[in-house]
Amino acid sequence: MSIKDQNKDVENIEVWEDLVHIRDLVICLVICSLTTLGGYLIAPNEPPTPLIVGLIGAVVGFILCSIIIKPKRTFRYEEEK
Amino acid sequence: MEMDLVLILHMIIASLAGTVLYTLIGIAPGTDETAVLAPVTMVMVLTGFEPIVILTFFISAIIAKKLTDSIPVAIAGIPGGVMSAPMVEHAMVLKKHGMPEVSIRKMASGSVIGTIVAVPLSLLLANFILPFGDTLSQYANQVFLGGAVFLALMTKSRWFALLSILPFAFLIQGLRNFYWEIGVVPEDTTVFTSFFLGITLGPVILKLVELLNRKVRDRLPRYGIKEIILTKRTPEKGFPNPFKILTKKEVGTSSIASFFGVLTFFMSPVGMTIFLGETLTSRIKEPIKRASRAVSSMDGLTNAAYISGTLIPLIAIGLPLSPTAIGPGGALFNAPPVFTPENNIHHMLSMGDFVLATIIGSVVAISITFYITIKYAQQICAFVFRYIPHEAMLGLFIGLVLMLSYMDAGILNIFGVILVGLVAGFLHRKGVNYGVQFMTLYAAPWLVSLFF
Repeated sequence: MSIKDQNKDVENIEVWEDLVHIRDLVICLVICSLTTLGGYLIAPNEPPTPLIVGLIGAVVGFILCSIIIKPKRTFRYEEEK
Repeated sequence: MEMDLVLILHMIIASLAGTVLYTLIGIAPGTDETAVLAPVTMVMVLTGFEPIVILTFFISAIIAKKLTDSIPVAIAGIPGGVMSAPMVEHAMVLKKHGMPEVSIRKMASGSVIGTIVAVPLSLLLANFILPFGDTLSQYANQVFLGGAVFLALMTKSRWFALLSILPFAFLIQGLRNFYWEIGVVPEDTTVFTSFFLGITLGPVILKLVELLNRKVRDRLPRYGIKEIILTKRTPEKGFPNPFKILTKKEVGTSSIASFFGVLTFFMSPVGMTIFLGETLTSRIKEPIKRASRAVSSMDGLTNAAYISGTLIPLIAIGLPLSPTAIGPGGALFNAPPVFTPENNIHHMLSMGDFVLATIIGSVVAISITFYITIKYAQQICAFVFRYIPHEAMLGLFIGLVLMLSYMDAGILNIFGVILVGLVAGFLHRKGVNYGVQFMTLYAAPWLVSLFF
């Protein structure tokens, strides 16, 4: 574990039954809002195109966030007893 | 004939998509059924997919979600959704005895039984209620108000819940009237979708807004990183058979539990799961036997309650008169301008369509999800826990709500939905559940019109 990770150790809070880091949460909210609403707004205004582009934006934002943000869980396997 | 084949192909594709998406979402911890199913279904409806394709998607989604949200319960004691919370205690018994794998196998097999019982029984019961459907829907407003009052009285904070109905209806109608007044929405359009989602994500919206306050932020309990340990197991061989995984007695209790889950489709599924699950197993002394009987029958029941709660109101009445229908399945009943209470999936599909959609949806979902649950439960859990940050999930759903709010009534409505979300989140925190709030949302126009 790096020093940066250790500093983050006791900074997580619980939202909706799982742990989040506030700064990371803000980043994800901004990214997903921009990609989703942005997709909706830049699409040609002929229903249902804006919705589809917005939905694609939502998925893109979700994937982007999953790449740049690390989950606040550690995970390891234990050998069978 | 060729058109039919294309349509069936679309249904199978939708079914596959719903299965894969909700197998992953189901495993993610803490995902509320309404919050994860309603927005995506809503977008699909508004995008203009065929009604029968949407129904197929939805059936697959609920079955996959219900089957997989018990996986993290078995493996890590973390409920994958509100509905799987009652199972935690029993799953922990099995985990303590080093049998999380048994837990998963029993739960997944219970789910299969639940589906097998629920699909035909729901179709049958829906046919039985169908003659009364028209009468019921003539009194829709009264029925929704009655539903709100009934559900309010069933909660622990019943007087608070009862008192909240009218003010909440005023808030909703107040915003609608305001939008008409200033002309952002034409007078014949009623803003519904975004208010619905505002209620759905209310608890999250309230929590996020609270985080803006430094004092609140400083007082919040802080945590390190959640540690999850899995015991490595060797994979299963061959295609699993649910009837071999469960003992005869477990098949029996799961079937009985599922049967009652269907009959009580209009009740809160979580409440019924706790009540029936405990009643049916309380006399078993041996802890491991009791726990595996409990998890298999509870999982059967939740699955059955979700299928019947969706199908029966949809086929027989056309109004969302069950907690499942009004919450996760809300978009199938009302998603203006595509679906309205007077013209939705109930009115558009024939009995044959319902049967076809249900069968394709459930067979695809159950065979894929059951197989991979038994075979790869650990690997999927590991993937989700390792690579899917909770922040991204929150971002995804808030992003969808923002877009749909903007679509309903422009920038102004983003703030309107925040307002609805804050009030709904506050009510939710005080014990006024989704059911009461959604029923109020439906009854609001009529309820407010009684006063002038």
